[in-house]
Amino acid sequence: MKESYVNLIYIRRQVFAKIAQMAYKGSNLRELEKASFEILPGEVATYRDSIFRERAILDERLRLTMGLDARDANEYGRVTDGISEVDVDETHFIEPLVNVITHACEACPTKAFMVTDNCRKCLAHPCTNVCPTNAVSIGKSRAIIDQDKCIKCGRCKTTCPYSAIVQYERPCAAACGVNAIDSDYLGRAQINRNRCVSCGRCIIQCPYGAIADKSQIYQLIKALKTDSHMYAIIAPSFIGQFGPLASPLQIAEGIKQLGFKDVIEVSLGADITTLREAKEYLEKVPGEIPYMGTSCCNSWAIMVEKLFPDQYEYISDSSSPMVETARYIKKKDPDARITFIGPCISKKLEALRDDVKDYVHFVITFEELMGMFVAEEIELSEIEIESKIEDASTLGRGYAIAGGVAEAVKTTAMALDPSKEIQVENASTLHECVKLMKLAKAGKKNGYLLEGMACEGGCIAGPGTIASVNRVRKAVTEFTKQSPYKTPFDNAHIKEENLPEEASVTNMNLS
Amino acid sequence: MKVKVCVGSNCTLLGSMGILDQIEELQDLIREDEDNYKDEELEVEAIKCLGHCKISNEKIAPIAIIDDEVILNATSQVVMEKIVNKMRKG
Repeated sequence: MKESYVNLIYIRRQVFAKIAQMAYKGSNLRELEKASFEILPGEVATYRDSIFRERAILDERLRLTMGLDARDANEYGRVTDGISEVDVDETHFIEPLVNVITHACEACPTKAFMVTDNCRKCLAHPCTNVCPTNAVSIGKSRAIIDQDKCIKCGRCKTTCPYSAIVQYERPCAAACGVNAIDSDYLGRAQINRNRCVSCGRCIIQCPYGAIADKSQIYQLIKALKTDSHMYAIIAPSFIGQFGPLASPLQIAEGIKQLGFKDVIEVSLGADITTLREAKEYLEKVPGEIPYMGTSCCNSWAIMVEKLFPDQYEYISDSSSPMVETARYIKKKDPDARITFIGPCISKKLEALRDDVKDYVHFVITFEELMGMFVAEEIELSEIEIESKIEDASTLGRGYAIAGGVAEAVKTTAMALDPSKEIQVENASTLHECVKLMKLAKAGKKNGYLLEGMACEGGCIAGPGTIASVNRVRKAVTEFTKQSPYKTPFDNAHIKEENLPEEASVTNMNLS
Repeated sequence: MKVKVCVGSNCTLLGSMGILDQIEELQDLIREDEDNYKDEELEVEAIKCLGHCKISNEKIAPIAIIDDEVILNATSQVVMEKIVNKMRKG
């Protein structure tokens, strides 16, 4: 969540802690009816126009966190309607993942150029003179832009000597790289499901907190209470997320105290993915396919599938680090039920895919995990533990930062075949990913290894993070250096039997 | 001057790292404009949970401490204002 949206963080995360607490305590779910009164007590509104509306919106947050749909204001129903369906100990996903809480949306105007108080109605008024549609005129007190005529070229804004013209855009739509934000009949945001890739940017950018995703923490905690084969796999960007005093090892130990049997770094799976993608690239590019896109960012892959369907076959077939890590565990414990903990909400969808659902059973974010720590009153920095966390190589741990995936695959491919020159390009933000794919489709990226990441800066900027990007970038970079293994080849955990045949290390002539 | 920000679980959940980020940026701001600030170092420390919120029935997280003054329900703007008021000359 955007760190400066302090009030929204406050509301959103109290809901995670509340639901986690109810799940651990085994509370009667009818208590959900009064949860909004506990989180928002009193009769004076703090955040919106009335306490009634604040609580009504909070009720929808509670529902979404339980995994239920948000209700519209025109439906009659209790906050607990449908609750028995999600009162289970397995993921029960109800489409869609990303939801507009309609009565929280303030129907911000769509993209427009506006004249502000800075306008002095100057004599030269260049704003009128540069307008290609004659949409700007000088009114009584300031320049006026005729919105029906305006084609949003921005020339008036550029030329104004007083910076009096601003470009206005609703934050959800501005953040969306795939133009998936439409408007409903009241002008409120509405998500176009045909285009949405569930990256979660709109969730973190809306200053009214009107968009939210569904959670699985309730069902996860129910499973943790009875199943002794629960494993957590934690994404490379976890370093530094839970406060500057919580060490990686304390975080892992804290997760175990929540009821997990063991915790493995997803960077281990990243090492396996690296080996597979490097091999795949060397084999297929440029003979079979003109270029290859990386596979680890699910929103990037969905974007290519939805907007560039004829290019989708050029995205690597290799499984993502999440899936490879889960497979690694499944091999050791066939009864394992695996929870991915990461910065990403898109993984919640990846885990539902037919080829993934038997390996990854739950997906939660760092924010949701923090809610669980609070519910169980676990203080990470107080945990005493002495052992090591050494699941992955420096390159695998680098997957969290934009450019890290391509770097790992390139380094590995070059080690396998030093004669081959490999060009890489990476895009982070969906806007950039779409641009890159347009170039790739036009044949301008042939021979390339393309890394796409939906979040700006990579996974460290994911929607489910707690710490700021700069803080985590520093912490992750430090942690990558602490690995005893430099490259995936050195990783002692990756043995023959953990690798799929086509990426076998001996096949790679490394012995 | 010493500023402590609690980064225990509850305070971290409710945004204390954001307060730390803001104070660290304020350190840069003061460094760039040192003529207007007293010749005193602004020290920032992330501290473990003091246990206040576990014994209180009220919501009090996040917690910050400036010198000896404990600030409950701390926000970065209140903490920074207090720091600047104490450190700015004249």
